[in-house]
Amino acid sequence: MTYQFKETLLYVENLSVAYDDTVIIKDISLTEKDVVRTAKENTGQIIAFVGRSGRGKSTFFKALTGLVQPNTGKILIKDFASQEANAAKPVKEGDIGFVDQKYTLFRHKTVYQTLKFALRKTTISETEKEAKIKEYTNKWGLDKCIDKYPNELSGGQRQRTAIIEQLFSSDKFIVMDEPFSGLDVGNIEEVKKSFDLLSDMSEFNTVLFSTHDIELAIELAQVIYVIGYPTINGEKKNYGTIVAKYDLREMELAWKDHCEDHIKLYKEITHQMMIS
Amino acid sequence: MILLGWVALLLLFWFVGTSSVKHLFPSPQQVLQGFGDLYNEGLVVHIFNSLQLCFLSIFMAVVISMLFAYTWPIPLLKPVSEFVTKFRFLPFTGLSFYITLVVHEARNMQIWIMVIFLTTFLTTSLIAIIKDIPQEEFDHAKTLKCSRFEILWQVIILGRIDYVIDVIRQNLAITWMMLVTVESIVVASGGLGFLIKNSDKFMNHGRIIALQIIILLIGLTLDWAINFLRKAVFRYSKI
Repeated sequence: MTYQFKETLLYVENLSVAYDDTVIIKDISLTEKDVVRTAKENTGQIIAFVGRSGRGKSTFFKALTGLVQPNTGKILIKDFASQEANAAKPVKEGDIGFVDQKYTLFRHKTVYQTLKFALRKTTISETEKEAKIKEYTNKWGLDKCIDKYPNELSGGQRQRTAIIEQLFSSDKFIVMDEPFSGLDVGNIEEVKKSFDLLSDMSEFNTVLFSTHDIELAIELAQVIYVIGYPTINGEKKNYGTIVAKYDLREMELAWKDHCEDHIKLYKEITHQMMIS
Repeated sequence: MILLGWVALLLLFWFVGTSSVKHLFPSPQQVLQGFGDLYNEGLVVHIFNSLQLCFLSIFMAVVISMLFAYTWPIPLLKPVSEFVTKFRFLPFTGLSFYITLVVHEARNMQIWIMVIFLTTFLTTSLIAIIKDIPQEEFDHAKTLKCSRFEILWQVIILGRIDYVIDVIRQNLAITWMMLVTVESIVVASGGLGFLIKNSDKFMNHGRIIALQIIILLIGLTLDWAINFLRKAVFRYSKI
């Protein structure tokens, strides 16, 4: 399937985070662009981050979402409010949505109240807000539980609510920290469906997620980054950085049924993870 | 069913154990007599007095404790709130002397002794609740572009309001115990503590046990009512 790279959506340059004197991540740089496919109206960007535990994936995500201040480097995202093409802005708290492993929501708000709260800073009218909530809850299968509290929702419903909430509040970017962790087969399928929904809704929707499941990363993502400890001049460092990048679009493995090349890629990524 | 069996066994033990001429514990007849005497002496008015003192002091203590607890996350005010929690180790019989120097009216004195000591316990419990809020909840609010005030309001205050109710319920036993003690120290305003002190003076054991039963039953009823209220009002509350 043919595709084209358009404008830059996310730009990270030399990002480093340290807690006191301990460097957690260092020199992380990446660029993600809007991808347009000829045969599809909307194709969102799905980017996976894999790596062994303790390599700094969560810290990277927290820096990306503005929850942790980086010590060096910069993070820029496309400024959707600007009329100028290629306009970018530095990331602030709340610009990039963040869905954690537990799908945290306000425990005292129903699904409706949660989504209404997420829309409070948008400029659209009350009627438009109501319509938007209705549209999304219908599309995402939450219309039956609009008056339920988080403790009354199933894992899948909770996760979908968390995604829509972040989508309403942020600028089309969503970071998901290990969304498949501890889920059963049924729930994993639900999360996969959410990824498809997000991808189909807008070409600018960009999902960045971390996982330990390399097979799932290959199945869902268009780009896979391996975060690990780098080896520089024969010496293994003890901070996390991007040690490998696999662009499945360039490798002609994206949007394709599972084949022999996917298995080869699986082995290659596993090797990269093991040596870093 | 098991509980009823134990209650029946306890009652049987009480009846049999106090059926002889000499007995340490008052017999059911003596306790029943105690109930009758207390009723004739205005038991209902005394219960009302005690409940009024209980509710008034809890209300005031909760408001003050919430102020201390909700300002605890502010670095400048943190030492003040933590200092208040340490006061729960002070014996209030000594401190009540100084309160009598400032407050002269008996009822006000009772209220202020209760409020001061309840505040220390409630502040301790409320700070523990805030400390237990997971970092994810604060991060979640930040990702929704919440201001610092919105985080305080949504995560700490609204997000934990049902816990405040539960803290009141948990501290009710302390409140009820202190209330009877305070009423027996400052006797001028009546109340259940006053009745106990009076009965104690004349070694009227039947009355003392009758009063203990009343205090226990009122305490259990309040505990049940608060728990019921929490579950009814806050559907999301699963403490």
